[in-house]
Order: sequence, then structure tokens, then C-alpha cells
Amino acid sequence: MTKATAVRASGLSQHQFKWLLVVPLVAFFVLFFVIPVGLLFATSFNPAKVGQVALVSDLTFDNYIRFFSRSNYLIAAGRSILLASIVSVITLIVAYPMAFVIAKTENPARNTFLLILVLASMQLDMVIRLYGMMVILGDNGLINQILQSMGLTDGPVALMYNFRGVVFGLVQFALPFMILTLVGVIMGIPPSLEEAARSLGASRRRAFMRVTLPASMPGILSGSLLVFALSISSYIVPALMGGFRVGVLPIHIYQQVAESARFQFGATIAVILFLISATAVAVYLKLGKRSSGGLA
Amino acid sequence: MVYVEFSTISKHFGTSVAVADLDLQIEQGEFFSLLGPSGCGKSTTLRMLAGFVKPTTGQIRVNGRNVTALPPEARDIGIVFQNYAIFPHMTVFDNIAFGLVERKLPRVEIKQKVDSALAEVGMTGFEDRYERELSGGQKQRVALARVLVIEPEILLLDEPLSALDKKMREEMKYWIKNIQKSVGITTIYVTHDQSEALTMSDRIAVMDQGRVLQIGTPVEIYEQPASRFIAEFIGESNLLDGTALDVHGAVCSIDIDGTTVTGRLTQNNAAIKGQAVTLLVRPEMIRLHSLDASEKPKLNGTVREIIYQGSVVRYRIQIGHQHVMVEVANRPDLARLDLDDDVEVYWNADSGVAMP
Ligand SMILES: Nc1ncnc2c1ncn2[C@@H]1O[C@H](COP(=O)(O)OP(=O)(O)OP(=O)(O)O)[C@@H](O)[C@H]1O
Ligand SMILES: [Mg+2]
Repeated sequence: MTKATAVRASGLSQHQFKWLLVVPLVAFFVLFFVIPVGLLFATSFNPAKVGQVALVSDLTFDNYIRFFSRSNYLIAAGRSILLASIVSVITLIVAYPMAFVIAKTENPARNTFLLILVLASMQLDMVIRLYGMMVILGDNGLINQILQSMGLTDGPVALMYNFRGVVFGLVQFALPFMILTLVGVIMGIPPSLEEAARSLGASRRRAFMRVTLPASMPGILSGSLLVFALSISSYIVPALMGGFRVGVLPIHIYQQVAESARFQFGATIAVILFLISATAVAVYLKLGKRSSGGLA
Repeated sequence: MVYVEFSTISKHFGTSVAVADLDLQIEQGEFFSLLGPSGCGKSTTLRMLAGFVKPTTGQIRVNGRNVTALPPEARDIGIVFQNYAIFPHMTVFDNIAFGLVERKLPRVEIKQKVDSALAEVGMTGFEDRYERELSGGQKQRVALARVLVIEPEILLLDEPLSALDKKMREEMKYWIKNIQKSVGITTIYVTHDQSEALTMSDRIAVMDQGRVLQIGTPVEIYEQPASRFIAEFIGESNLLDGTALDVHGAVCSIDIDGTTVTGRLTQNNAAIKGQAVTLLVRPEMIRLHSLDASEKPKLNGTVREIIYQGSVVRYRIQIGHQHVMVEVANRPDLARLDLDDDVEVYWNADSGVAMP
């Protein structure tokens, strides 16, 4: 008996059968995303009580009022947005030329080799990679030794345990994601677009500026959005590279939940972080519509 | 006057040869087609003229100027691609204005030129649309307008109709030809579709495996193909095996199963006498009903298959151990034949082409 007849025999139409296939995905999504986020959302409206984890029926806006009335939380939110924005821009600037070279490498062996190089940096766990970066960026690290031996600086330049260090860490973390997104999009641009521009009188540079770059805008936008979301929600990089001295929202969440055991207020910060990311998605979608003639 | 000239152009990709020792001379204002099977080097030839591909050897001259080393933007050549290459992030207006902006024309003039280009291709009112809001035929019109608006010296078209459905293809064929005629631009058209090439071209170069096999007008290519390959590639052909009996200039008498027929030789070749030859006759050149007693000699055959196609009826006729397809107009004055009818098969003396 073939699959189709088996389906018919069990009294399901082809259409119903397709829906059946989606059930595991939906179940997974509900179980591991909708429910936890829903609980988190609900918890954020419970009064903050040290050590209390379970939901209670008592609802209040106190946590939100606390968040928006304390300047250190607002500053942290601003710092998070600034950090994620800076990381997105730097990652884009670094990644675009690399992605362009990879996308334009026609030799399949060379192309695969370059992609493997990019992917290789994702093979190691983030923590291990960050310890590797510390060796380079620390006060006695490689970069400081070079700067001093060249006489460019007197003492060590603080490259770690500050905002700058977190930016370094996040860029290195986000780079492969951005490159892979861009490579896909740039490879999807038909070469005839650039050729058409060239024979219409545009130099190589002009053709890039007027055609190839704008045509890769959907990739630039989705890559930046991805990096923004990854950076603003990252805990491990600010923790290790910032040494808990760069107070971004995930650090505060950790402190509320793990140190102060005020689960409810941690949930409130998490909800606000989530809303910032969601707003970014909305803004990018709008930009995407405009920049690509409604393509994205 | 020779306008575009390829001299011993060849292009190698690694060890593979895409184009070999190509010599072409294209006249000003001519509609010239490169016709050949997939992979024969048509696009590569076109792309060398456009400047996207550097020839391995040889020289390309346009209007007396050696352009071989010039970058595409310095060549003043317009190209329409198979996928049209409409810039997706620009409106129709900005697409057509692209080349004019690069030429730094004043705004007012750009607007004027784009408007008249839109009118010329019948796309007035579409200026604010994006690529994804256009049909295949409309993209084609925009692509052509974008090129014509810069008034290039040469227009290149690389299989511009292959992405369209059959009906649209027929329509655009005449439309492109008419525009080309009214603008008077020298045009090189790449296609693997013989009917497109025959319909539109002033001259056709038939290519295979990187070489030009024959250059001629559509009539010459169709009626005097230089080789069996060309005969079979262009149109439908009946190929009859026979023996050359006698050669008088370009006329050859041929024995086919005991009957003597005549055929024209593609090249004067007296040495062919006594050798096996192939006689090419197009299905529509063959007649089955005697209208004129002077059309002799006749071959005797039998109807083996009848294919009714509305405007024409096709018969497969067995002649000895060989077969020919015959296409007869469906007219009341031409009697219909039945299966297994014995018929007399004949054709005008110069409708047969003898090939070694
Ligand atoms: N960039 C390239 N690298 C390597 N080989 C190529 C390249 N471009 C073309 N070729 C080869 O050169 C030969 C001719 O290609 P070309 O594109 O000119 O053929 P074509 O006649 O246009 O065929 P089609 O009708 O399929 O478009 C082919 O064998 C093709 O594989
Ligand atoms: Mg081609």
C-alpha cells in the first residue's frame, strides 16, 4: 500500500495530512517557546518577592514602575541598544567585503574552502573563543605588547573589561552569521545585473554602488537584524569580555535572578529586552519594504 | 560598410575551447543572428563584443575602432539579457534612466527621453512599477527601452524570447524586428531557435562547437544549407541516400533506387562523381500530385502514415527502403490520400540539395 492510499484509508484528506506534518513543529514551538515566554510575561506582573518562583494571582505594575523610575535600568537599556547597534554596524562593515569575495569566487574548491574558514570559527564554544580573545586583548596581551614595543603607547590600553572589549567579543561572535547571510544574498544576485549596469555606462565602482550594493540590501538588513538580536540578548560575552562591568540588560537579568533571587523583576527586564528586539524587527521590516521595492 | 568585425577571435576557458578562430563581418543597420545548439559559443561571442569576456586571441573592431581591450562601459553597446536584468530596487523609470544618469544628462532631458522611450515600447503609465510587478513581456519592453534610450551603436540580444510563453514569443518576435527596423540599429541576436532566426534576421551565422559553419540570408541558409548538420538543425529535412551519376557545374544527377533525380551541389565539386551523396528535400517542397508533366523524374512510393494538422496534412511516404515526410497544404483542389495508396513523388529540380 502506498503512502497516499494509506492516508486515504485512515480517513484523512491530502490537505489534512499536510497539517498533520506540522503538528510536531507547532507542539515544539508551543512547549518550548510560547509557554515559557508566556509564563515569563505573567511572572513579570507578580510582586517581586525574594526566593518566590511560582506564579501567584496577585497582579501589579510595580516591577515596570521600578524599571522605568530607576535611571540605572534605563541607562542599561540604552547601553544595550547602543551596543547592539554598534556591533551590527561594525560587523556589517567587516563582513561585507569578506562575503563579497566569497560570493564572487567562482572556483568551487576555493569557494568551499573560504566558507569552511568562516564556519570553522563557529565550531568552538563561545567561552573558549572568548578566552582566546583575552590572550590577545588583555593588558599583557599581544596587541598591547605590539603597541608598546612600537612605542605607540606608554602603558597598556584597556581593550577588555570595558565597552570596547564587549564590542570586540560580540563582533567576533556575530561575524559568521553576518557573512553567511550576506553570501547567500550576494550569490543570489544575477551577474547580469552588474553587466547590464556596466554596458549602460557605469564603471565597476559605480555599478557596485548603484546596483550590486542596493540589490544586496535585503541581506544587509536581515543580517544586521540577526546580529542586533544576537548581541542585545547575549549574556556570556558582556559577562566575560566586560567582566560584569558593562551593565547591559542581560547582566541585570542574571543579577536579579541568580544573585538577588528576585525572579519577577528579572522577568520584567527580560520582557523589556524582548520588546526592544521585537521593535527592531518591526523597524527593519519597514525599512526592508522601502529599500527593495517591496521585495523583502 | 562593415560595422562590426571579428578577426580570428577565439576564447578558451582553461582547456575547453568555447570559440575558435571566428571571423565575422556585420554590416551597419543589419539584423544579424548567431544560431546554434546549446553550448556552441553564441553567448561567449556576444559577451566578447559587449566586453564582459576577454578574447584569448584576435581582435574586435566596431566602426573601424579596435575595442578589444575596452571595458564594457566604454563601448557604447546595449545588451538585453535572457533574464532581462531589470534592477529590482529601482522603478521602471529609474531603470530606463540608468544609462542617462551615468551620462550625466540634465534632469529635464532625462525625463523627456525616458517618457519617449516608454511610449516607444508601449509602457507609458508603468514608470512607478517595480520589476516584480511586471509580466515577462513587460520586462522585455523595459529592458529594450533601457538600452535604446542611450542610443547605442550596437544592440545585442541574448535569447531574449526564451523566457516567454509561445504566444508571447510569436508576438515579441515581430515587435522586436519592427523596433529594430524603425531605429535602424545594428543588431546581433543570439538564439537556438531556428524559426526566430529565419523570421527576424537579415543574415544568420550558424555555429557549432565554437565555429561558424555557414553565413547567409535566411533563404540561403534554409534552401542551400552547406552541410547535413545545418540542414537538420534548421527546419525539417528529408535526407535521401543515393549515388552521384554526373556533375554539370552546380547540378548533379543522382541515382536513388534506380531512378535518376537532380540536385544542386552546395559547392562545385566535380570529384563527387560516382560517390555516395545525400539529397536534401524539405517536406513542403515535395509534391504528390502531378500539376506539371515537365516535373520529372518521379519516384514511386506508398503512403505509410497520415498526420492531419489542420492547415496542412503530413504524409510519410515509403520510397524503396527509404522514407520521406511530405507536407501538403490542406486545400480542396488537392485530393486527400489514403493509407497504402501508391503515389508519385517529385519536386522541382532545384529544390533538391546534394551534399557529400
Ligand atoms: N565562464 C565560463 N567558464 C568556463 N566555461 C565557460 C564559461 N562560459 C562559457 N563556458 C563554456 O563555453 C562553451 C560555450 O558557452 P556559451 O555560453 O557561449 O554557449 P551558448 O551557445 O550561448 O549556449 P546556450 O544556448 O546554452 O546559451 C560552453 O561549453 C560553456 O560550458
Ligand atoms: Mg547562451
